[in-house]
Amino acid sequence: MPDAFVLLQALVLLTVLAGLLGLLLRRNLFLKALAMDVMGTGVVALFVLVAARPGLRTPILSALSTPAGTALPAVPAAAWADPIPQAVILTAIVIGLSIQALLLVVITRLAQLDPLLDTTSFEEIQALMRRDR
Amino acid sequence: MTLLLIAWLLLPFLAAFSAALLPSLARPLALGCALLTTLLGAALLLGLAPTTLELSGPLGVLLQVDRMAAPFLLLAGLVVLAVLLDRSSRAMAGPFLVLVMVLLGGLDSAFVAVDLVSLYVALEVVGITAFLLILQKREPPQLWIALRYLLVGNSVMSLYLIGVAELYLHTGSFRLEALRDPALSGPVLAVVLAPLLVGLLTKGGLFLSGLWLPRTHAEAPAPVSALLSGAVVAGGLCPLLRLEVLLPAQQPLLAWIGLASALLGVLQALGESDLKRLLAWSTLSQVGLVLLQPAVGGAYALAHGLAKAGLFLASAQVPSRDLAQWGRQALPLGLGLPLLLASLSIAGAPPLLGFWTKQALEQAQQPIPPALLLAVMVGTAAVYARLCRLPLQLSRQVPSQGALLLAGLLVLAALSPVAVPLKGAAWLKALGVLLAGALVELLLAALRRGGGTFLPRPLPSLERLPDLLGGMALVGAALLLALGFWPGAGGVAWAR
Repeated sequence: MPDAFVLLQALVLLTVLAGLLGLLLRRNLFLKALAMDVMGTGVVALFVLVAARPGLRTPILSALSTPAGTALPAVPAAAWADPIPQAVILTAIVIGLSIQALLLVVITRLAQLDPLLDTTSFEEIQALMRRDR
Repeated sequence: MTLLLIAWLLLPFLAAFSAALLPSLARPLALGCALLTTLLGAALLLGLAPTTLELSGPLGVLLQVDRMAAPFLLLAGLVVLAVLLDRSSRAMAGPFLVLVMVLLGGLDSAFVAVDLVSLYVALEVVGITAFLLILQKREPPQLWIALRYLLVGNSVMSLYLIGVAELYLHTGSFRLEALRDPALSGPVLAVVLAPLLVGLLTKGGLFLSGLWLPRTHAEAPAPVSALLSGAVVAGGLCPLLRLEVLLPAQQPLLAWIGLASALLGVLQALGESDLKRLLAWSTLSQVGLVLLQPAVGGAYALAHGLAKAGLFLASAQVPSRDLAQWGRQALPLGLGLPLLLASLSIAGAPPLLGFWTKQALEQAQQPIPPALLLAVMVGTAAVYARLCRLPLQLSRQVPSQGALLLAGLLVLAALSPVAVPLKGAAWLKALGVLLAGALVELLLAALRRGGGTFLPRPLPSLERLPDLLGGMALVGAALLLALGFWPGAGGVAWAR
């Protein structure tokens, strides 16, 4: 099992790296924001992977949902997934979503200046505005 | 005590929501929150017993209201207070006060949080609020600056979370203390620590990962610049200082990054021709000095933050931001005096607060050679000598109340317990540094009049978006290499 874990972890970190490369290399502002989201997704996957290390079974108390008298299916104690990283990453997902929304609002406003959303043109728009002033 | 502290942490957020519903209450509520934070910071500095709060179990939130957080709390409270009292902030539109309260709440949490998840949430709250504050002026330059700020900030926080996940994987804890776990060593420590450090270094505006800082602080509206340069960068600095205390083996690495940041900032500030950009580059340089010594760092950040916030508040009332016009027009005493005092404090002139913190920094044990530190000090003095060539004019006007308040504090602090007895040589050295700085400035001024610069080539422009992201990635990669494979800093087994 540890080998599979290391492999999966490497794949997840590669996803983050791919996002980082996109962030660095793409010239389009929208694609940059998208690449940032790929990074975020990779990070979420990493937390889910860390949570799944002790076991895959979702740690939800099922006694409340099963009718009284029926026995719970026997699950070895070690097979539960760790709830802590999942709880932590929920916060990060919400924060990531709101930041993505804010970025897209600003990108929409900037699209009125340059519909192509080329980052270099925004650096130049700055210079142009400074010269006009 | 526990309940009181939790109430203090939640108060700014509650106040912000109430102020959104009842706008007339916004100003008193904001002032109250800032006062409370100031008082708590001062009480901690004067000897209030530190408290540790553990909320929701050993894996939950861990807060430490201690002496490390004290100067930062004092700084945030005072800067917010000064910004609220300043004329320039009264012109800001409705949500400004609400945002300031949320910002203060986020900063308070970031200063006292000692578990990595709470710190993440606090820093993201600070980042989003700072983004919205920059957007208080919705012109295209501010849109672009705010976008860059949030894009860079959130990207590094994603990297930071990798460090958090790896720490939990190897130690089963989110606490800062878990970084000392013996399970972490060599490459494993590098994988945990490098992403965390990139996140905090970028938030603190240090070296290449802080290249976002100058333009952001320069283009933001003046009261927002004061908040950003005075208090917001401290949100990254305080956890970095906590890390330095926890991991003495990594302290030299951080000190060298700080020194590199200080040199870069001073060099760029000397070549700058715009007032707010000069101040912003100087922030990048001064936060570097904060990292040199964790024991002095907090006090240094306090002295710098107060002075820099005052300078940014005053910069709103100065006739022209162009430094070529500097000194052509006399400033009223109420504006010129705070400008002078704040500049002198950062330059390290006695008996202001900046002088005492600089002395403490010089006397402390450090991993970097004193000659380099001296070069930075002379450079800083030269940067601010330029601002000190300022004709004053007697007048009763007080254009910037906030700047006046902060400058007053810098003077008052000299009477407080920070003033330690110094030997004659230390006084001579301080005066020598100031004189050398003034001489450098005279030379540079002559060069500028001749149309030349002090370097054979103009300084590279480092502030386009690819530079910011590249700087961040570069620092991350370098940290990974340095921590994992550099024998001196990383402590890899094969080196011993």
